[in-house]
Amino acid sequence: MKAKRKVTTSRDVRVSNLKQLPTVRKTTVPARLDPLARLARVGPQPATPTGLAAREKPLATTPVDLAVDLGRGLILANPILVASGTFGYGIEYGDVVEVDRLGAICCKGTTLKPRIGNVTPRVTETPGGMLNSIGLQNPGVDAVVEKYAAQWATWKTPVIVNVAGESVADYVEVTRRLEGVPGVAGIELNISCPNVGRGGLQFAIDAGAAGEVTAAVRRATDLPLLVKLSPNVADVRPIARAIADAGADALTAINTLSGIAVSPSRARPLLGNVYGGLSGPALKPVALRIVYEVSQIVDIPVVAIGGVTELADVLDFLAVGAAAVQVGTAIFADPTLPVRLVDELGGECRRRGLSSYRDLIGTALPRKPGAPSAKGVEYRP
Amino acid sequence: MRLVRTELVDSREILPGQWLQSFLAPELAVGSRAGQFVHVRTGDLSGLVLRRPFSINTADPVSGVITIHFRTIGRGTEWFTRLRPGDPVDMLGPLGRPFEVDPRSRHLLLIAGGLGMAGIRSLADEALRDGRQVTLLFGAASARDVYPSSLLPDEVEYVIATDDGSVGHRGFVTELVPDFEAWADQAFACGPAPMLAALARLADGRRERLGVAKLGRKRGGGRVDPPGSTAARRKAFLQVSMEQNMGCAVGACLGCVILGTNGAPQRVCREGPVFAADEVAWDSGW
Repeated sequence: MKAKRKVTTSRDVRVSNLKQLPTVRKTTVPARLDPLARLARVGPQPATPTGLAAREKPLATTPVDLAVDLGRGLILANPILVASGTFGYGIEYGDVVEVDRLGAICCKGTTLKPRIGNVTPRVTETPGGMLNSIGLQNPGVDAVVEKYAAQWATWKTPVIVNVAGESVADYVEVTRRLEGVPGVAGIELNISCPNVGRGGLQFAIDAGAAGEVTAAVRRATDLPLLVKLSPNVADVRPIARAIADAGADALTAINTLSGIAVSPSRARPLLGNVYGGLSGPALKPVALRIVYEVSQIVDIPVVAIGGVTELADVLDFLAVGAAAVQVGTAIFADPTLPVRLVDELGGECRRRGLSSYRDLIGTALPRKPGAPSAKGVEYRP
Repeated sequence: MRLVRTELVDSREILPGQWLQSFLAPELAVGSRAGQFVHVRTGDLSGLVLRRPFSINTADPVSGVITIHFRTIGRGTEWFTRLRPGDPVDMLGPLGRPFEVDPRSRHLLLIAGGLGMAGIRSLADEALRDGRQVTLLFGAASARDVYPSSLLPDEVEYVIATDDGSVGHRGFVTELVPDFEAWADQAFACGPAPMLAALARLADGRRERLGVAKLGRKRGGGRVDPPGSTAARRKAFLQVSMEQNMGCAVGACLGCVILGTNGAPQRVCREGPVFAADEVAWDSGW
């Protein structure tokens, strides 16, 4: 298996210091932190008591290991998730989607209090994508738990509750109310929300704020914690690093890219809220770039999202270091796509003679830079 | 709701820029009711990421054919016009809640504005099948936009209003309604939002103007059906079919909402597209 490339993070510096290694930069990742090491431990094992473990589905003659561990026991049967906001609470598509075959479901963004969302129009198609400005319409965390959690608890597929808030306290309180609820397998923080207490600055665009909210939620819960990065930043790396250092178990990359559309009359912006989030294939190169950047500097799994419409997109995201992939906008055109991608990923592995899809991870990442030469700059013909 | 692979059997431009297409889709023709819609995938992969919602214009359970009626307004609808007989088309449906006709209603007033005909057309068939009388009021900009009467069942009384007076009543279709509101037991409308809002205002004062008892009062015995329930809609004088930009069409994305009089957003794809007129907050600006 290809070794995980990494650039030293502040956490490693701490580890290095503790171990009194002043001269040699430590380049191996502690097994505790290395997502690939963790993946290797997962393997095709029997189901855990939580019921989240890999489901043994004989796709063909050779079994392919598609299981992925996103941290703290959040083990998915396969690395294909459905993205928050595109799959409701998992029940809306009814029999059209085989929910039990998905890797995980990220449910609609959930806040402490009910929200009625933004004025309409809320969605519009754009070239190669769509803009949405739903405005976090949701019935509030208590209603979500009451209405859906019991059903989630009966599914093989873990449900990750996407959490949004306007203050650190909001996020923490929503998390507390999800803690210990049967059916809630994990939390994904949507930090692309304005921090009302800080003049409306989004958590996601500031490393300090992103780290702060992550750390606060981390202290409040033992649930597996994913944090969703925003692409609307100049450099995502310090933010990703801050989130990882604050104790997130995995990163989701990326949220939508901010954009607008103009009404047909050209008299005003089209969306009721003016601004919307761009998603769909148009977003894929941006998402690839960010996953590529982030997966090289953090030690936790990166869950890629942005414009996945076919297997080739999944393979691309794995190649730039993603451990798993979320499907979002493409579900609207083809609700059966995520389940089909699970089959196709297994088929691709078999075709290549791989026993695990993990061999596909990180193949396009740059080779790890070697230790600096003592002889100065090397000449390589 | 099912994902159905249909096949185009006929495609006609019935009015300038307006098309009527027939698809072989037995699952949809049998299982659907008037007012429901299908969410249709364009086969164009060059950048169209959303399906297109269309009202089921007619559904014939015997032949298994459904029709849709649309105006070409962009690349998606233009893609449909290039379809040829035999071409496969992927549809998700039937979706949404249908028109709810009170079993005791004898006289139905249908009101369509422009392309709103697409949303109301199938109710004429359904009502006639159930032995009711149907009057259809239709409004358009001018004669060239008037839905051909040859495409309607003979039993339907068809009354036309045009903005320029080139055929029928000169003015809005809503101006025709007072002539029929005493005759009608229930009214059903589809069209531009301002037209529906005007009809909702008319329907509001109807009981006072006519001095008629509320439908269902005797049998209801004071019981109040929850707003939005099938029972409540059945008793409503006016039901409207609403339109909104749509994403998933199954209730997951919350893109296609309108604001309800209860203060909560209502999903056009799930709670609608048909609503009782008094469920909709017409002045909300949503």
